[in-house]
Amino acid sequence: MTDSINQIVIVGGGSAGWLTAAIIAAEYETQPTADPVGIPLAITLIESPSISTIGVGEGTWPSMRTTLQKIGITETEFISRCDASFKQGTAFRNWHHSDDSGYVHPFTPPLGYEELDLAGHWLSHPHRPPFAEAVGTQAAVSKSHLAPKQITTPEYAFNVNYGYHLNAGKFAQLLQEHCVQRLGVHHVRANVIGITSHENGDIKALQTDTANSIPGDLFIDCSGMNSLLLGTHYNIPFHNVDHILFNNSAIAAQIDYQNPTDPIESCTLSTAHSAGWIWDIGLPTRRGIGCVYSDQFMNRDQAAAKLKSYIASTVSPDAGNSAALREIRFNPGYRQKFWHRNCVAVGMAAGFIEPLEASALVMVELSANMIATQLPADRSAMQRLEQQFNAKFEYRWHHIIEFLKLHYVLNERSDSDYWVQNRAASSIPDGLQTALKNWQHRGPWHHETQHADDLFPSASYQYVLYGMGFAPQPDPRLKRRAKDQAHRAMALFKENEEMTRQLLAALPDNRSLIDKVGLHGFPKI
Amino acid sequence: MSNYTILRPDHHQNLCVDMSRSAALGDEVSQVLTYPLEFRDIQSCYPIFFTKDSETGAFMPVALLGLNTGQNLFMINDAWDAHYIPKLIERNPFLIARPANANPNQTSQPKLSIDLDSPRVTEDRGEALFDSAGAPTDFLENIIAMMQRIHQGLEHGAQLSQALVAHELLEPMTVNLTLADGESKVLEGFYAIAEETLFNLSGEALQTLNQAGFLQPIYMAIASFSRLNDLMARSNSAKQQRAESL
Repeated sequence: MTDSINQIVIVGGGSAGWLTAAIIAAEYETQPTADPVGIPLAITLIESPSISTIGVGEGTWPSMRTTLQKIGITETEFISRCDASFKQGTAFRNWHHSDDSGYVHPFTPPLGYEELDLAGHWLSHPHRPPFAEAVGTQAAVSKSHLAPKQITTPEYAFNVNYGYHLNAGKFAQLLQEHCVQRLGVHHVRANVIGITSHENGDIKALQTDTANSIPGDLFIDCSGMNSLLLGTHYNIPFHNVDHILFNNSAIAAQIDYQNPTDPIESCTLSTAHSAGWIWDIGLPTRRGIGCVYSDQFMNRDQAAAKLKSYIASTVSPDAGNSAALREIRFNPGYRQKFWHRNCVAVGMAAGFIEPLEASALVMVELSANMIATQLPADRSAMQRLEQQFNAKFEYRWHHIIEFLKLHYVLNERSDSDYWVQNRAASSIPDGLQTALKNWQHRGPWHHETQHADDLFPSASYQYVLYGMGFAPQPDPRLKRRAKDQAHRAMALFKENEEMTRQLLAALPDNRSLIDKVGLHGFPKI
Repeated sequence: MSNYTILRPDHHQNLCVDMSRSAALGDEVSQVLTYPLEFRDIQSCYPIFFTKDSETGAFMPVALLGLNTGQNLFMINDAWDAHYIPKLIERNPFLIARPANANPNQTSQPKLSIDLDSPRVTEDRGEALFDSAGAPTDFLENIIAMMQRIHQGLEHGAQLSQALVAHELLEPMTVNLTLADGESKVLEGFYAIAEETLFNLSGEALQTLNQAGFLQPIYMAIASFSRLNDLMARSNSAKQQRAESL
């Protein structure tokens, strides 16, 4: 057995598999070059012809712009090929009360965030606009269905920060072509039917039904919920979190616009219902709408009825009745470890949680980036990376789960046991309970010790807390700089109003910009 | 706002146009579109930069006439103070464009249009367009010839821009100027020839550019930067005159 790591085998041809392949292949030469000494890294992706991809995961974080740029796909090609549109955040409705006006969690932190915490000044403002609108431009830009940039803005650059909504099937297809045609990834269409191991328990090769046995030095499990290598083969236990996040089912539909020129939403819309919530993602070509729920509190037919009535009221009654529904069941949670021996799981094979903050693809990007940049050259150095990877991603899962739970704990809905139980202390992780107690006296700001691996910055906590009506008790003590800070806060509020006015006048709407991208493309510079 | 309409003898027989240079007639602009076929003349008077078309994001060359929005440092007492007037200034109030065609496969002939809302368009002042029999005057014949040259020039210019993008020969450029009275000016949103990339271009690429007639305008655009000194001098003397008249 050779100890050098020269062959990577990825199992699974969904977004997770192809994105991982692309990120690693963008880092290493995959074919022999003129260099007489260096060795290329061979990457093989095995895709089952009989398993279809789950086809959700249609929202990204702004990190996807960097990822696409790094793997060498132009933004123009990406948008045209994947029916992508621009995502500027999430708009939550009915999460606080059963018929509230909602709040926005945008991708941009409050204005002057490093210098001053505007939240306290916003709370004492007599006629205050919604928090996100008072402290930033993005909520207002999103509300008007405006794009985050202009046709003259270089690709991947922005006026206001953004990620994407995309067609997951088409995204996997584009990544596949890019990986195979431009990055030298071997594509094998076959089902994995057996695993051969080394004596020490490392995976040696995968047996397939139609191709030969495929040997490798590192195996990446992107097989989705099957978790073929990490779960089925290695039996790594699953850490279930449905006592914290109750949702374990979804029903999804794809709905045409009533009129092909209808505006495209700038945010993922997330509308709470009596036992879960409904996502609504606007692509240029269609809307993806799905009902997430807990089967402890609602049965399948009730959930389907919720979904249909949402579609009927936001699209058309006909669309509600004729929608083709697809059902998804999941265990919310993650594997106790993600890297085991010479096998690492990425994507749903590692864990799955409701897509409330679109954390699925960003976790794939982070996992693949860590593999790509820290890939040991020799098996003997893999043990240490295994420990680091597991510690990092366990922390991240933990952090995501607490942040998602935050969306639920301040609800004041009384229409169902689901919402009552969601605010019960027994369902809230200890860390979050402690944080909530501390925030009673001082709201979160960047002074909170930031962990380098935190996925959600303190600004995100602010948007959710203040969106949900949270208000820390004012500090009764007199502060020497109180007056200066109040002046500065007023100046920032004014500046934000002015910047908002300018952006509302300058930015095109999403649909016009996407049409123009199709015609002219974004400039590179 | 402008109101362009295709020029027709039966509709526009009595129109005259005032072709004199004047701020009131719309010449007070700080930049004007140009094209490579006039770069030789442009670079002897004005700096040439590239900027993006706000509708398409495509790059287009412009001659810089002033340092502030709406400032033309070459308009002095309603006279144009340079030996060459950019063709896209002279063409006002005319435009040549292909009308939108219902059938996209069929390219329509470019048509001469006139901006009926331009202050240059009158019925009693300037040059007549048609004679009493409805035939184009010599003046209009000359305009038609000029507009055809401009049309070809702009199409060639669009190809130049595409070639510059393909060879990564454009780079963002921020111009920082300090005027005599200490005021600093920052000109943003401009792009210039990436000289280092140009110097490292392969012989093959240079030959391609040369055969398409792009190499000469590229060097002319580079040479034109020195005209910024003249713009600064004009700005300084305009400011001084304003100060003295106060």
